[in-house]
Amino acid sequence: MRDIIIKELGKNIKLHVIPDEKFKTVYISYCFHRGLDEDYTYNALVPAVLKRGCKGYENQKKIGEFLEEQFGSRFNTGIQKKGERQILRFTMDLVNESYVGKDGLLAQAFYFLNRIITKPVQEGSGFRKDYVSQEKENLKNMIQAMINDKMQYSMERCIQEMCKEEKYARYVYGSVEELNSLDPDRLYAVYQDMLATSPLDIFVVGDVDVEKVEMLIKNSLDLDRAQTKLIPDTIIKKVGIKQREVIEEMDVSQAKLNIGFRTNTSFNHAEYFPLVLYTSILGGGPHSKLFINVREKSSLAYYAFARLEKFKGLMLIGSGIDQKHYHQALKIIMEQIKDMEEGKISDSEFTAATNAIITSLKVAKDDPGQLVDYYLGNAVAGADYSIDDFIDHIRNVALEDVIEVSKRVKADTVYLLSPKEGDS
Amino acid sequence: MKKVIENKFLNEKIIYHKLKVGLDLYILPKPGYSQQFAIYATRYGSNDSQFVPLGQEESIRVPDGIAHFLEHKLFEEEEGNVFAEYSKLGAQPNAFTNFNMTAYHFTSTGNFYECLDVLMGFVGRPYFTEENVEKEKGIIAQEIRMYEDNPYWRVYFNLLRGMYHDYPVRNDIAGTVESIYKIDKETLYECYRTFYHPSNMVLFVAGDVDVDKVIKQANDVFVRQPVKRATEEIKRIFPEEREGVSQTRVDEKLAVSRPMFALGFKDQDKTDGGDKLLDKLIANEIILDMLVGKSSDIYNDLYEEGFVDSTFSSNYTGERGYGHAIMSGQSSDPEKVATLLYDEIERRKCQPWEQEYFDRIKKKKIGEYIRLLNSLDSTSIQFVSMLFRDINLFDYYERIQTMTYDRVIEEFKQLYDKNYSCLSLVLPRE
Repeated sequence: MRDIIIKELGKNIKLHVIPDEKFKTVYISYCFHRGLDEDYTYNALVPAVLKRGCKGYENQKKIGEFLEEQFGSRFNTGIQKKGERQILRFTMDLVNESYVGKDGLLAQAFYFLNRIITKPVQEGSGFRKDYVSQEKENLKNMIQAMINDKMQYSMERCIQEMCKEEKYARYVYGSVEELNSLDPDRLYAVYQDMLATSPLDIFVVGDVDVEKVEMLIKNSLDLDRAQTKLIPDTIIKKVGIKQREVIEEMDVSQAKLNIGFRTNTSFNHAEYFPLVLYTSILGGGPHSKLFINVREKSSLAYYAFARLEKFKGLMLIGSGIDQKHYHQALKIIMEQIKDMEEGKISDSEFTAATNAIITSLKVAKDDPGQLVDYYLGNAVAGADYSIDDFIDHIRNVALEDVIEVSKRVKADTVYLLSPKEGDS
Repeated sequence: MKKVIENKFLNEKIIYHKLKVGLDLYILPKPGYSQQFAIYATRYGSNDSQFVPLGQEESIRVPDGIAHFLEHKLFEEEEGNVFAEYSKLGAQPNAFTNFNMTAYHFTSTGNFYECLDVLMGFVGRPYFTEENVEKEKGIIAQEIRMYEDNPYWRVYFNLLRGMYHDYPVRNDIAGTVESIYKIDKETLYECYRTFYHPSNMVLFVAGDVDVDKVIKQANDVFVRQPVKRATEEIKRIFPEEREGVSQTRVDEKLAVSRPMFALGFKDQDKTDGGDKLLDKLIANEIILDMLVGKSSDIYNDLYEEGFVDSTFSSNYTGERGYGHAIMSGQSSDPEKVATLLYDEIERRKCQPWEQEYFDRIKKKKIGEYIRLLNSLDSTSIQFVSMLFRDINLFDYYERIQTMTYDRVIEEFKQLYDKNYSCLSLVLPRE
């Protein structure tokens, strides 16, 4: 595979093109960076309102008809949290025109995205009022729906408890209280601020010509701006870390145990690579200590894993257990952490983890969405590793580095979502 | 003998080869891809709960969830666990069981042929002991509990239970905590012997691989681990499904933020498989797009009135012997949504869609099909799942072009009958 090509388009707009002829689609994503600040609920609402319509495609029905006509192009807008930053995304995934014998699909995709981003349907000097009120309700429902997926809910609650004094506790979709007192003028101002000042990365993956893509974007993108804002770095908490326990009750049949750790290490540190290995050995799949000891040896759980929040320097463990096994499961998990610290890592564990990480990185090269997610991570952290560079760094990690990095990992919050007393 | 199935327009081909032991092998060469994907699947799922065991006369009824239990247990080997072998090779293994199939697969980015040996080796080598069977019960019980707390899953399985009287699709794939505790080593072996003969299985490989080497590698597995020739057809027993639905409404209360719904229409027109079923699948996908898709009247009305949001979706399932269409989502007033959907269906029976709409949706379906071919795992799984219904996925492209408007309208009028529908709700606890 040829490498990624990055071009500065001026006005703090960066174009990232990954030309690859094996793909039958072209995946385009416009990513605006915003700080996870007081506007976070507004940031989440902007893409939802813009999705509703623009000049030429004033409502969802017209947008739907257009997408169907383009051989089922997929269009979506959304919001992601990457460290203490929100990414407002506008994505189009279309069939490569060479497979359907229709010219202009790619050009139309760029023109359409530009309209969605820069030419919303207006009412007075703001967004259309009914679009705002409907999307406000939808967003509120989405925030409240967090509770529906217990695995995700317990993880999010663990993070909220752990980071309650930090910006990072803010939920990616915003807060219900903020929505209840929503100020439509402020919403429109946040949107205009996004256009004028938010760093923008544009990703294009597929069998495309870089010059043509650059020209199509320059011809279509109607962004008039001068100076963009710097987004503050994500703060990695290092001191005053103490282990504490939070137990919450709910009407559920399975308890969910989540443990949040501080790693004192983010994506930009050299120690990040051994940390990736550390996490994989601990809980990165069927080769891991958690899988073997919590699931296979003790039959306590169906799933038990560890994963990193790479921008915030957190490691999170999750497992679904029977309530009565809470202390036993916690003890087994903490023993694994201790074993890692004491260097009780076998060669086969080390090799299995190395192989597993390399495989997932290589697999990402076959998926446009995963490729964009990887390189967006680079853009967020200001890093510049290609996937192959990353693989090389992983290969160069020694067992001693992993043992060394284990000393940086400190338990912070043990969160248990527990069935109510008296329930099964 | 190798046979090549080709789609020149999409620049794709599949090589088919039948092994002496009766195994069907398919290879999809994908130059330029970093990964290889292999799936080894048997025509055996949770629906096969009653059958005549190999070499016997009388049929038996096995505990619910046994096909899924067997899937878990095959990973166990005398010397330990298959995961360790895969880990050494850097592959990502997984498996799944659904109503009609059990599949074992891996993704690798090197050591492909060794991984293929591991895959075919362990699936061909059951090792069940009383001890390892007991140990698995705790793990699967937690898997079942996890699903019990999952409202998206519950609303769907409750709907199936509401729509079907007798057919085993009404039972959860993983069974219940009670039913899995009845599973023992002997019954597992009985199921294995009956359903895991290579002649009842398919191997599908996708990636930048050497076709002849894959064929040789697969053949060699059966030299090392010989199997007897299959001598008899598998006798599966399915109950005669009664007319109509079992319940018109199923409710469950769970810890959710607001109601979830799934509205199902049970298909009375049963198809056994093949092109007839493929046409039915295509027709129904087009219908759902025109009826409740993103550009449909009713979806936009419901959305703008605040009755549904973007979680609303629909799909059609068509298997041998049963089929149903489902519309689902979240709503503060799901009963109102159901009423409006019923009304729209009646309106469309008198005032069908424009031909132009139909043509546009066909384009959309062609695009979706092309997009599918980007993904090795999705293409492979989809291909095998179609094969088990005697459908060649590569025919989809041509069948969609030849699908007619009249066929779609006829299918719509046949399937969408309120008397054959069921509404499943998951409601918040107070």
